Amino acid sequence: MGKGRCVAMLLAGGKGSRLSSLTKSLAKPAVPFGGKYRIIDFTLSNCTNSGIDTVGVLTQYQPLVLNSYIGIGSAWDLDRKNGGVTVLPPYAESSEMRWYTGTASAIYQNMNYLEQYDPEYVLILSGDHIYKMDYSKMLDYHIEKKADVSISVIEVGWDEASRFGLMNTNEEMRITEFEEKPAFPKSNLASMGIYIFNYSVLKDYLEMDERNPDSSHDFGKDVIPLLLDEKKKLMAYPFKGYWKDVGTVKSLWEANMDLIDEENELNLFDHDWRVYSVNPNEPPQYISEEASVEGSLVNEGCTIEGTIRKSVLFQGTTVKKGAHVSRSVIMPDAVIGENAYIEQAIVPSNVKVPSGLCIMPEEGSDEIILVTESFIETLLEQEKV
Amino acid sequence: MKNTMLGVIDATSYYDSLEDLLLHRSLAALPIAGRYRLIDFVLSNMVNSDIGSVAIFPKFQYRSLMDHLGSGKNWDLNRKRDGLFFFPAPGLEASEEGVGSFNHFAHHLDYFKRSTQEYALISNCFTLCNIDYQPVLERHMRIGCDITEMRHNGNSIDMYLVKTNTLIDLIQKRRETGYTCMQDVVEDMDSGFKVCGYEHDGFVQTIDCIEEYYDASMKLMNLSYWKELFKKDMPIYTKVKDEPPTRYTSAASVKNSIIANGCFIEGQVKNSTMFRAVKVGKNTTISSSIIMQKSQIGDNCVLENVILDKDVKIEDGVKLIGNPNNPIVIRKGMIQGALMNS
Repeated sequence: MGKGRCVAMLLAGGKGSRLSSLTKSLAKPAVPFGGKYRIIDFTLSNCTNSGIDTVGVLTQYQPLVLNSYIGIGSAWDLDRKNGGVTVLPPYAESSEMRWYTGTASAIYQNMNYLEQYDPEYVLILSGDHIYKMDYSKMLDYHIEKKADVSISVIEVGWDEASRFGLMNTNEEMRITEFEEKPAFPKSNLASMGIYIFNYSVLKDYLEMDERNPDSSHDFGKDVIPLLLDEKKKLMAYPFKGYWKDVGTVKSLWEANMDLIDEENELNLFDHDWRVYSVNPNEPPQYISEEASVEGSLVNEGCTIEGTIRKSVLFQGTTVKKGAHVSRSVIMPDAVIGENAYIEQAIVPSNVKVPSGLCIMPEEGSDEIILVTESFIETLLEQEKV
Repeated sequence: MKNTMLGVIDATSYYDSLEDLLLHRSLAALPIAGRYRLIDFVLSNMVNSDIGSVAIFPKFQYRSLMDHLGSGKNWDLNRKRDGLFFFPAPGLEASEEGVGSFNHFAHHLDYFKRSTQEYALISNCFTLCNIDYQPVLERHMRIGCDITEMRHNGNSIDMYLVKTNTLIDLIQKRRETGYTCMQDVVEDMDSGFKVCGYEHDGFVQTIDCIEEYYDASMKLMNLSYWKELFKKDMPIYTKVKDEPPTRYTSAASVKNSIIANGCFIEGQVKNSTMFRAVKVGKNTTISSSIIMQKSQIGDNCVLENVILDKDVKIEDGVKLIGNPNNPIVIRKGMIQGALMNS
């Protein structure tokens, strides 16, 4: 891909309120995932692996962790002389201070960033999804189809289709209609929130949208329908492979469990498509004489003296003697005390589970327990009573 | 005390007993402790002790060392001023001199002359330890020493602290004095220098033969030694490889072992060190062994007291049993089939 031809804009300002206390002090894209990553690593690594070296990252909600994590982009090889990664927070103008109110307005307010590269194409991404995708192939498709806009779509099960924004297409994959979470789906092609725009089209339509006082300034709700009304050529780009929105505690847990499934589609071990992340500089993991680890994913810096079954352990985790962890996700630097029992749970970063505490779902319940400090306090008080 | 010390690492050391592991690399680049190279320890110690200028003096087979260190970015040594320097030896003749050859330094005297740091810390490249050099410097200054020799249990560990000017003097006058390295100076009772010892009591292990290498690797599986070497506030830095977390299948069983990232373990591992991206097949048992990066071990194998260098492939059904006092060493990139063994 030629230099500056395609610039990526990564929307990373989401609050992810359905992730509960996991996103209390950090943005959703910064939530830990898969034993060593944060959610945004997948999108940023996709950019690097697709040869896109100019990436604007739009941040808004709780940006501290995310900003310092991204830094100058070295972890993803995005510290470049030309382009590279640029964090784009909302800013004040002489007349007013404007927050990003919608996905479209967020891009609109950074037109001057795009203008300095004057790209031919703009790739719009969201930092909320777990998937591996070669954007350069999507760009080839976009160019080949002479599209104004291409939208990446994935086939979802008909039973869950009404949870997504759906693309109705003709047989050439040209999009004829966009329906946001329809009760009666006519298609099972869900939008993945990945768009390639011809830059001139993007500019024109964002300006039009900005002038419309009734618009909520959202790509899915406002800009795409407007483009369809104006008979622009919108193509659906069919994607096959693993793709998951990890928007809830449950789906975050499920996506982690997918990684330890022997049949899992998301191969983290592919040397030709590395998923990069910031290195925590921890020593290798230490597995003691008493420990037992089966069917799990364990990162460096862990000290394991207990039993681990079907779980994902992040860097710096300590599991003490006699402790039992099964079907759970243990986030960085958490400590599981001696003889503690944890099942079907997510233990957030730095949480210390006291010795002997038993955390497990009620029988038959598929609820994922989020083991926060306040959850532990409540549990300890209940035990006293 | 920021930026008062220079770091000088002698990376020329070579020991015949480690020959099998040093065919393609210098001792400084010998893989150890699952994800490190020997030099990472002393280099990280220096960086953690606020040393911002480090000179490395390599000699033999330093391609892998250069590849490992690169610009020094992983040690935060890619700086505008100071940072990491390489000063290869001009000749390839084996030297008989001790750690920190003045002859070798003399070829790069400008580095010492140009440096603004008042003190120089000279170290070997083959010691596993986690030392903060700042207290060494404080004591050196407080007592008014000319040379501080770092020791462990009273024995020298080939690390010296000296004023940079004194070092320059020693290098320039090496022919008149007959001193070839710091050790010569320290051992000469009549040198006229005030020599102090600094006892470091954490974990220290010198790797100068295959037995020491094997022994050190086994010792690290003791959690108390492990914690003396790897401290949260004094991390050991190394080259980042972006391997995913290690995956254990439901058939895996791992006891008392050190496992790096990117491994895929389906078999049984005991008392062993697995470097990055090692594969262990089904029904395979590995005990008391060291398996270096990217080695692949097939199904139904038995490995005991074995050191596999990197990229070794062990085919299905191979049995390799060494002796703890004399482990079997398989050289880099070798393929070991079941038939070769019979």
